[in-house]
Amino acid sequence: MILDFMRNKIVEVEPLPDGSLNVFWKLRDSLMDIEVILKVKPPDLEIVEAEADLRRMPHQECSAALELIKKSTGIRVGAGLRKIADGLLGGPQGCKVLTQAVLESANAVILHFTRPNLKPNDYAGPDQKIEGSRAMVKANPRMAGSCVVFGENSPVMKGF
Amino acid sequence: MITLSRTQIVGAELIDSDTIRINGIQEDHIYGMEIHLDVNVPKGEIVSIEGWMKRYTNPVCTEAVDVLQNAVGINLREEKWEYRLMKNIGRKGCEHFAEILIECGRSFDQARMAKDLEGALKADPALDQQQFCSQWVKDHPEIEAGCLARSR
Repeated sequence: MILDFMRNKIVEVEPLPDGSLNVFWKLRDSLMDIEVILKVKPPDLEIVEAEADLRRMPHQECSAALELIKKSTGIRVGAGLRKIADGLLGGPQGCKVLTQAVLESANAVILHFTRPNLKPNDYAGPDQKIEGSRAMVKANPRMAGSCVVFGENSPVMKGF
Repeated sequence: MITLSRTQIVGAELIDSDTIRINGIQEDHIYGMEIHLDVNVPKGEIVSIEGWMKRYTNPVCTEAVDVLQNAVGINLREEKWEYRLMKNIGRKGCEHFAEILIECGRSFDQARMAKDLEGALKADPALDQQQFCSQWVKDHPEIEAGCLARSR
């Protein structure tokens, strides 16, 4: 079938020489073309710079969202982020797409830090992988119940 | 260099006035998955879904494929539908399945508007597209409100 609508979204994390992280987020679909660039500074993972470029938006009112992205500076990637981003960027005078951009960029930062921890177990057998996940949840009990791997019936959670 | 990259691709086709079929692919350095879902247009309800987990980190992850069926019946127009999908698909199954499913859900009404805009542009290539979209939102009170452009 011929598609009526297409959306492409990309988010990339690039460590910079000064130790901070550049996060590039882009959404391009049949109606919109938006780019957001955030600079995130460890160890607090604070957003220290934020820029947006709204190249094509479906509504005239959306252009007012451009300045909203500045409100994300000072936000830290961590607990409570969703509520904070919703409060600053969302709501009737806000922009859902920019809120999503910040949240998805933050998620990418977390995956950037997760990836090296998963890599050593990449070619391990199933039992070793289960053991690896068990060690993860022991180190970070907040992961319990976060997905099927850490659900109550999972072999990972046996004896936990 | 880029140390983490994620791409989401969503395609939607309006099968008829009652059904939209949405395909979503999510690929990143860690995970790879794909879903197909059919949504009832008048009701906004997911009527069927199937998914494939292509790259994952743990053998238990594949159990999340069956959990996708929890999405059937969820209404993409009800309040907090994204939260409901994350809770029922993400936490009970796989967060990354939920992420691409939510992206497909966000594309649902956008796809309808895009199709109507494309039709209108065929009739009038010089059409004011933003004006058309604003009017489209006014003419479709069923779609999600609550932002700068869609405050009612």
